[in-house]
Amino acid sequence: MADTSRTDIRSALSNPGGWKSLIIFFVLTLAWLVGFSSRLFAVIRFESIIHEFDPWFNYRSTHHMVENGFYNFLNWFDDRAWYPLGRIVGGTVYPGLMVTSGAIHWVLHALNIPIHIRDICVFLAPIFSGLTALSTYFLTKELWSSGAGLFAACFIAIVPGYISRSVAGSYDNEGIAIFALMFTYYLWIKSVKTGTIFWSSLTALSYFYMVSAWGGYVFIINLIPLHVFVLLLMGRYSHRIYVAYTSFYILGLVLSMQIPFVGFQPIRTSEHMASAGVFALLQAYAILQYVQSKLTKSEFRHFFFFAVMAVAGLVFLAVVALTWAGYVAPWSGRFYALYDTGYAKIHIPIIASVSEHQPTTWVSFFFDLHILVCVFPAGVWFVIKDINDERVFIVLYAITAVYFAGVMVRLMLTLTPCVCVLAAIAFSKTLEIYLKDDGHKHSPQESEDKEKNDKYYDKVSIISLSKSMNGRGGARSKSKKSKSSPGPMQVSPLLVDSGDGDRLKEVGKTKKTKEDKQKEPEGVGINIKSIVIVALLMMLMLFAVHCTWVTSNAYSSPSIVLASYGHDGSRNILDDYREAYYWLRQNTHEKARIMSWWDYGYQIAGMANRTTLVDNNTWNNSHIAMVGKAMSSNESAAYDIMRQLDVDYVLIIFGGVIGYSGDDINKFLWMVRIAEGEHPKDIRESDYFTPQGEFRVDAAGSPTLLNCLMYKLSYYRFGELHLDLRSPPGFDRTRNAEIGNKNIKLNHLEEAFTTEHWLVRIYKVKDLENREPTGEAKKRGPPKLSRKGNKKRKGSIKHKPKIIKGKKPSSSKLKKSTKPNK
Amino acid sequence: MDWTNKKSVIRMDGNKFRTYLRSTPRNYSVIIMLTALQSQRQCSVCRQANDEFQILANSWRYSQQFSNKLFFAMVDYDEGADVFTTLKINSAPVFMHFPAKGKPKKGDTMEINRLGFAAEQIARWIAERTDVNIRVFRPPNYSGTLALALLFSLIGALLYLKRNSLEFLYNKTSWGVAALMIIFAMTSGQMWNHIRGPPFLHKNPHNGQVHYIHGGSQGQFIVETYIVIFLNAAVVIGMILLNEANSMKGDASKKKAVALGGLACVAFFFSVLLSVFKAKYHGYPYR
Repeated sequence: MADTSRTDIRSALSNPGGWKSLIIFFVLTLAWLVGFSSRLFAVIRFESIIHEFDPWFNYRSTHHMVENGFYNFLNWFDDRAWYPLGRIVGGTVYPGLMVTSGAIHWVLHALNIPIHIRDICVFLAPIFSGLTALSTYFLTKELWSSGAGLFAACFIAIVPGYISRSVAGSYDNEGIAIFALMFTYYLWIKSVKTGTIFWSSLTALSYFYMVSAWGGYVFIINLIPLHVFVLLLMGRYSHRIYVAYTSFYILGLVLSMQIPFVGFQPIRTSEHMASAGVFALLQAYAILQYVQSKLTKSEFRHFFFFAVMAVAGLVFLAVVALTWAGYVAPWSGRFYALYDTGYAKIHIPIIASVSEHQPTTWVSFFFDLHILVCVFPAGVWFVIKDINDERVFIVLYAITAVYFAGVMVRLMLTLTPCVCVLAAIAFSKTLEIYLKDDGHKHSPQESEDKEKNDKYYDKVSIISLSKSMNGRGGARSKSKKSKSSPGPMQVSPLLVDSGDGDRLKEVGKTKKTKEDKQKEPEGVGINIKSIVIVALLMMLMLFAVHCTWVTSNAYSSPSIVLASYGHDGSRNILDDYREAYYWLRQNTHEKARIMSWWDYGYQIAGMANRTTLVDNNTWNNSHIAMVGKAMSSNESAAYDIMRQLDVDYVLIIFGGVIGYSGDDINKFLWMVRIAEGEHPKDIRESDYFTPQGEFRVDAAGSPTLLNCLMYKLSYYRFGELHLDLRSPPGFDRTRNAEIGNKNIKLNHLEEAFTTEHWLVRIYKVKDLENREPTGEAKKRGPPKLSRKGNKKRKGSIKHKPKIIKGKKPSSSKLKKSTKPNK
Repeated sequence: MDWTNKKSVIRMDGNKFRTYLRSTPRNYSVIIMLTALQSQRQCSVCRQANDEFQILANSWRYSQQFSNKLFFAMVDYDEGADVFTTLKINSAPVFMHFPAKGKPKKGDTMEINRLGFAAEQIARWIAERTDVNIRVFRPPNYSGTLALALLFSLIGALLYLKRNSLEFLYNKTSWGVAALMIIFAMTSGQMWNHIRGPPFLHKNPHNGQVHYIHGGSQGQFIVETYIVIFLNAAVVIGMILLNEANSMKGDASKKKAVALGGLACVAFFFSVLLSVFKAKYHGYPYR
């Protein structure tokens, strides 16, 4: 893109086309910059750190790959996870992410730039967001116009639905996969338009990258066949489609099977059968059409239709029969849950327990997309009104993606790009009408681009202002002046004195009104035109402000470092997680086995470098259920399980001191449910409720709960703790209750470490006792308290932190972790 | 005790209740549903509970492991009010388990407030109490299939009747409207309603105030989603009007009116939507 623009400019400085591409180039560059910088909140506020849960695994395996090489990575058997089973990492990951950052690392080191792999991992997603903006621009350009493309690029650069998965530090598959998704779609549209093998081979290559990056590739391999199928139904079959689809399908199939984790799935599972079926159908259709060209009879039309229908039915029946016979695996649980929406709740608690697998409320849609969610149906309308082969695609994309996003919160991510494209089309079309200068005959494209430019700077200024990065904002407004003043001069020479005022917004408006004055009131009229434009611009500004606010407040917390704000606005960093993991790293045996709930498995492996029993790769339900059973049994029963599992330390998260709601007690019911699913004899959910059916931790709570391991470990010695003068000792701030069991004695475990704010508590599992206990108990030192906390005594925190920054209290947008039960 | 061979659920009155459930020793457990099915009692929950109970009893009756270990019984209030008084029960429906040995304990009354009374839940509860695992077999619900078949045959008939003028299939407006309907339904959270089953609206029992909008961002009422559909659609119609204004036939004043109307539509309804969002999303700035 950059190069073509530059050459354009050099050759054609004097014609409007040159200016046009210059503007496009700058808008895209700035979109990239804005997208990048608005994802840096976390880095600026905290530090360059990997976020959340899954990114820690990705980082760990990337690190392993960079250290040991690619082939060792593919063969890596991780004995630090899922003790005692282990995990074959190389065969169970999508390696695209690791390979991408490894390649960047390799190139930079070849250029003698000594950058640590961690920094590449942290900044990978923001960089790829720029690439996503570029590919969205190209896709929209193919679908509608380049003006709409610029809109779409700007939208996708700052839309919260995409930022949520691509802030700096969230080093996850989605960060690069959305780029791959959009790029594949762009290439597909291109190959449908041209019908050349070149473009469809490129599509297949891009699809290969997508397969290597994210499990969501299944969306592509179902959407493209759907597109082809609908085109066939609409009677829009052509040789272009035949060439594009067949070459894409064959190449893509072969390439996707090269990924070890995918293997033979593309020919063995139901998720992929639609593409094979459409492939067969397309062949039949082509043959029939060939026959038709030989026969040339009007009667053939009917026969043709029914023959195609019969072939479609036949293909469908063949797939069903193959599934029945067991050659093709039926839908896997996670995919099936998308169709039968009640399925997961009943049958797979581990899927239902994950907070990002919940259905989506309208508030989430609005929160993530703001004005785009109201406007993009208009885009669908315009596209349908003016349909052609490639526009069918975006309509299908919108409808399927909106359905999936409604079923599962996390799939909002796949909806976001298409919403951006369609909303961009709606805005672009509207502004094209209202900005068109009726008096002078120059292309509407021109003024529209210019318009986009202006509006875009509005966004920039808002973003930079709200980020209080005045220096950069100023620099941008300067560049803005230098660019926008020649623009109008070229377009309409009457505007030499383009009002380069001081306020950016004013600039845009005055220019527009002046421009509008030039034409005779034949259409809607200048006043109304300018009113419409100003109103739309105001809405887009609201959108930009909203995006920045959402990014800053909801999506930019690393969640392993929490921040709390005092009454006076002072910020307090709670670094308990890393404190605890560092303690583990330094003070435990290298082979020590840590038991914790699965949410924290990756972090323990990544930061503490210790063996875990279960982690966020939830492939073994029964193993997780064992841990859940240990947590929800009483201490002696739990001790037996922990002996069986060779546990050395138990790590739990406890938020009662600081009022952190995502702690283990709030997740506890899911542990019980998952344990009950595997061990219905021993664990019963109803035992953990009061007779009134409430889950409470105070004295009225059920005795089973008050004596289970998780409760004991969470509240051990908590009864002595006096947090606040107004509340009794042992007052749990998260659940606003005085705990019911203050006198907790542990027989088989002992407290090993508790962090400054009691957020993480680690217990050591004692060895078996000697058979004849001597009279004198073994003297052990008092449990070590946090180094940091030794000035104040045990947990008496003044200025209690009120707001927990890391936890968005009221949104369903928690990342992949067991959702707290409330 | 060979009634179950004829009927899966034994209807009991006070006498039978005493004979079969109060006498010891027994070698069988009984799951009893205390209910009020008479129409003058106006207990709609009882009816649904009864249906589920019948499904469960039939699943047991026709299952492989059917034996005389477990029986299903029911007492209607109007047939055995004395049963209710002896058990000190003043609500319906109630599911109770009478174990083979001893008296019913605390856990032998099913907590339908918490568990609900779906047949699967009752089966799980029974499995907890009696170690008998019943696989619930629901009689396949043909109504959905039937409705679908009817719909398809209707469409087929329509297509057949109008086979000479299939132009309506090429009508972009109808396809557009259909696509927008799907999108509106999804973006307003109908799927959430379908999965979670929220109340239609909330009526405060104390002062009779009716809330149409759920107070938090985690939940929503059904009415609320309809309001959101309406607002979204209004914004979209406004956008479309804005675009149609220029290409319309007619004089300039009409165009102006349409354009202004469209703009007002967009601006006003978007503001309403924004304020609803703010009311739900606490802590959202820019009031």
